[in-house]
Amino acid sequence: MQASWKLRLAELVGPDNFSDAVIDLVSYSSDASEHSIRPQAVVWPTNAEQVRSVVLLANELGFPLFPRGAGTGLSGMATPSADGLVLDLARMRSIIDISIQDRVAVVEPGVVYADLDQALAPHGYFFPPDPGSSKVCTLGGNVATNAGGVKGAKYGTTRDYVLGLSLVLGDGREMKAGGRNIKSVSGYDLTRLLVGSEGTLGVLTEIILKINPKPTATATALAVFDKLEDAGGAIVGVMSSGILPSVLEILGRETLQAINQNTELDLPEVDAMLLCETDGFTQTEADYQMERVVEQFKANQARQVRQATATEEVADLWQARKSAYAVLARLKPNFVLEDVTVPISQVINVLAGVQEIAARNQVNIATFGHAGDGNLHPQVLWDAAEPGQTQRVEKAVDELFALAIELGGTLTGEHGIGLSKAAYMGLEHGSAAMETMRALKRSCDPNNVLNPGKMALDG
Amino acid sequence: MQIQGYEFPEELYYDPEHFWVRVEGDELVLGMDDFAQKLAGEIVYVQLPDDGKKLKKGKKLAKVESGKWLGKILSPVDGVLITVNEALETDPGLINRDPYGEGWMYRIAANDVSQVEDLLHGVDAIQGWIEAEIAKHAEQA
Amino acid sequence: MSEKHPLLANFRDQIQRCSRCGFCQAHCPVFGASLRPALNARGKMLLLKEVLEGKLELGPELAESIFQCTTCASCALNCPSGVDVPTIIKTARKEMVDLGTCHPAFVAMDQVLEQHPNIYAEDEPEDFDRPRNQKAEVVYFMGCVGQYREEEATEAALEVLDYLEVDYTLIDEVCCSGVLEDVGFEIKPALAAKNLELILATGAKTLVTGCPYCFRTFNNKELYAPLKEAGVEILHLSQFLAGQDLGVHTNQVVTYHDPCDLGRHTDIYDEPRQTIKALAPNFVELPHHHADALCCGAGGGVRGAFAKNSLDMARRRLAEVDQVGAEVVLTECNSCVHNLANAKLRAQKFRVLTTAQFIAELI
Repeated sequence: MQASWKLRLAELVGPDNFSDAVIDLVSYSSDASEHSIRPQAVVWPTNAEQVRSVVLLANELGFPLFPRGAGTGLSGMATPSADGLVLDLARMRSIIDISIQDRVAVVEPGVVYADLDQALAPHGYFFPPDPGSSKVCTLGGNVATNAGGVKGAKYGTTRDYVLGLSLVLGDGREMKAGGRNIKSVSGYDLTRLLVGSEGTLGVLTEIILKINPKPTATATALAVFDKLEDAGGAIVGVMSSGILPSVLEILGRETLQAINQNTELDLPEVDAMLLCETDGFTQTEADYQMERVVEQFKANQARQVRQATATEEVADLWQARKSAYAVLARLKPNFVLEDVTVPISQVINVLAGVQEIAARNQVNIATFGHAGDGNLHPQVLWDAAEPGQTQRVEKAVDELFALAIELGGTLTGEHGIGLSKAAYMGLEHGSAAMETMRALKRSCDPNNVLNPGKMALDG
Repeated sequence: MQIQGYEFPEELYYDPEHFWVRVEGDELVLGMDDFAQKLAGEIVYVQLPDDGKKLKKGKKLAKVESGKWLGKILSPVDGVLITVNEALETDPGLINRDPYGEGWMYRIAANDVSQVEDLLHGVDAIQGWIEAEIAKHAEQA
Repeated sequence: MSEKHPLLANFRDQIQRCSRCGFCQAHCPVFGASLRPALNARGKMLLLKEVLEGKLELGPELAESIFQCTTCASCALNCPSGVDVPTIIKTARKEMVDLGTCHPAFVAMDQVLEQHPNIYAEDEPEDFDRPRNQKAEVVYFMGCVGQYREEEATEAALEVLDYLEVDYTLIDEVCCSGVLEDVGFEIKPALAAKNLELILATGAKTLVTGCPYCFRTFNNKELYAPLKEAGVEILHLSQFLAGQDLGVHTNQVVTYHDPCDLGRHTDIYDEPRQTIKALAPNFVELPHHHADALCCGAGGGVRGAFAKNSLDMARRRLAEVDQVGAEVVLTECNSCVHNLANAKLRAQKFRVLTTAQFIAELI
C-alpha cells in the first residue's frame, strides 16, 4: 500500500488508530481458522463517520477492506488479502441503550458478548444466542456471521434477535435497516439479509437486538450411550417429546477423552454422551421438562443418566463443552472444524457417516455438536507434516459435505462460509440462488471492496 | 534563553532541584525545567496532592516519576496548594512536550512571596548554574 | 540443519498447538487495556509461530509485543489448548537478548544491576532508622520497590513487626535480581552471593519479605538454594502475619487485590484474607478474585518499559474497586500498590494500601 494512502488513512482515523507495524500485521493475518495472509495495514475506527470515510477511501483508491470483530471466526471470514486493510471494530464498543420496556439492547459492533451479558444480568435479561466464544466475541461479528451456540435448540440463532441495523454499504452509502420495533414487514427484510452476510455487503455501525427475560431455573443432565444409534434415537426422541430443552449437546469419544485430559471432570469415555439443559421460570417447570428428557434417554437404552446439580460442576461442564474444539486441538498439530447441519432426524446418519468416512480415509475425526438443532461439529485432526495425510483429509472433508447435502443438510449451521467453504457453495446452492447473491453483492458493493474472495461471490 | 540546547525562560525563578517558579502576585506556579524533563525521559506519573495541602519551604510537595527516575518536588515557600494541573493525571507527558506552558504542575498561595528570592534568578545566575549542571552530568555519563 | 532459535524450538510443540481460538482475549490484561491483538497471548504465539517457520525475524520490531507481557499467566490458566504462554514469552525474550534485539529498557536494567545494588541505580537507601545486619531470629527483606518507591509501605511493615515484638533485623540488602530472568537476562551471582552472605550472617532461621517477587526468587532460584540448605524458612509477610492476633478492628469496607506473584504464581490466597477479615469484617471480594484476579499491569518489566499501558491496566483494575464500593483496597505487593496508587484518579475516593500500611494505621 502506498505511503500516501497510509497517510490519508491515518488522517481519517487519527494516528493512534492506524498501524502498519509488523506485529499488528501478523496478528491480523488470521482469525481462528487455518488461513493466514498478512494485510498492508489496520485501522481502528472509533465512530460511524470514520467507518464511512474509510469505505469511501477504499472505493476511491481501490484497495480491499476486511472488517473484523474479535477474530474468532472458524471459516476465515476475517482473513485479509495481501493488499488489504483490516478494519477492526473493537474500539467502537459502547452499549448505547438497554430498554426493558422496548425489550431491546442497542450496541456498537465492538461490544463483547460477555460485556452485554453482564450489563443485561442485573435486569434479569439475556441475549439468548450463546456462541462458544462468548467471552471474547463481538456482537458485530455475531451479527455478521449469524452466530449460533449451545442455546440454538430452543432459542434459535442471532438472526432471530436482530431487529435493526445501521451500516455503511460497500460503496459508502449509509443505510438503516429495520428499527426498534419487535416486528415489521415493511419492504424487503434487509435486516435478515444482512445477518450472516459476513461483512461482504456492509460494515455495521449500530445494532438493535431483541432481548429476553432470563429463565431463573435450570436442570442439567447427562446420559451415556454405548451405541451411536441409541444416542441418535434419543436426540430425535427428546426434540419431539413435546418440550424443547434449552441445550442438547452430543460429545463423542475423542472429545470426552480430550476434555478429561484438560479438566478434572472425569467424564465417562464412551461412543456418545448427551448433555442436556432445560430451563424455566420455576424449578418445577425446568424439572418437568427434564423428566421428559430423561424418559427419552431411558427409552433409548442410555446406560447411565445423571443429573448435575452443583453450580460449579454445571459451569465446568458447559465451559468444557464450549472449549472442546480448542482442547481437541492439543491432539494433533493441524485441525479443521466443520459444522455441517442436517434436519434433526438425520443427525444419526451424519454421526454414522462421519465414522465411515474417517475409517475409509484413515483420518482422525472427533465429533461433538448441537444435537438439538442438527448442527454437528466434526473436527478433523491431523499432522500436515506426515506425507499423504493432508490429501486424505481433503478427500474426507469433500465426502463429509457431500454426505450432508445428500441428507438434505447444509454446509454450515453457524460457522459461515468465509474462505474455508467457498468452494463448496455450488453443492448446496443452485445457479438462481448464487446469481441472486452475486447481484445483491454488486448492488451493495459495486467495486467489490468489502471482504472480497469470500462466500464464492466473486465467481 | 537557550543554554546549549536547553530552554530556560529568563523571567522565571529556578530551584537547583530543577523546577521553575513563576510569580503571579501572591501566587506561584511551579513546573519542571527543560533540563530535568530531558534527563528524566518521558514522565509517566505526577503526584497530584489534594487542593488545600499545607506546604513548608524545603519540604516534599509531591513525587514525579519517569521510567527510570523518581524525583521529589520540594515546596519553595511556606504556603498552601491552591490547585494542580489535572490534565497531568492522564497525560503526564505534557511536562515533556511543554514544560513551561501546558505542562505546569502546581499553583501555590505563598504566605510570603519574598521567599522565592532564595531561588536562582536572572540570566547570569541561571546560565552559570545550568552550564555547571551540564558539565556535571556529562562527566557522570 | 542447526536450529536458528534453539531455546524457542524447545517450545515448538506448544506454539504450534495454539489453536488460535482467541479465548485468551478475555483474560489478558494487556489486551484488555489496549484492544490490540498483537499484544494478546494469541498474537504473541502467532508472531513466534512465524519466527519458528522462518517467515519473521525475531527482531527489535517484535519487542513491543514480546516485552509487553506482565507474565500474569491468566492466559495460560484458561488456555484450552494448554499453551504455557508466560514461559514461552520469557524464552523468546532470552533469545532476543542473545540476538541483541532485546528491548532497550531491559538492556539498561541489566547494566544498572551490573553497577548498582538496586534496579533504580539509587545510591542512598532510605535507612528506616532501624539496625541492620544484627543477629536475629528473622531477617526482613524489603526489595527494591519497597526501599526506593514505596518507603511508606515498608515503614508500615516494620512498624507492624515492631508492634508484634518480632526479633528481626534488616540487612544491607541488594536487589534479589530475580526480575532479570523475566526479561531475558540472568540473576546476578554477585548480588545473590551478597544477599546470602548477609542473610546467613544474621543466624536467622526465618527470612520474611514483603515482596512477592523476591519471595518467589528466594524460593525457586538455584542461586538461592543455600538458604533452604541452611534451614532458613522463607516466608512472605502475609504468611508471617496470618494467624497473629493484631488486636485491632475497623468497620471500613475493605477489598483485596491478589498480586499475580502471590496468587496465580504461588497459590497464596487465604493468608492475606485471613488477616484482613480478622481486622476488617466488612470485606468484599473484587469481581475478579483469586486465580481470576486482574493483573495490576506492573509485572514482567511492563511498568518500566510501557508505563502508559501499565497504568491503563491498573485503572481497569481500580474500576472494579469502584464497582464493589470499597473504601480501601489492600494488596500484599509493593509493585502492585505502586502501580495502583499511581493510576488512581483524584476523583476516586478509595485508598490504595498494603495490608501492613492498613494495620499500621489502626494500631
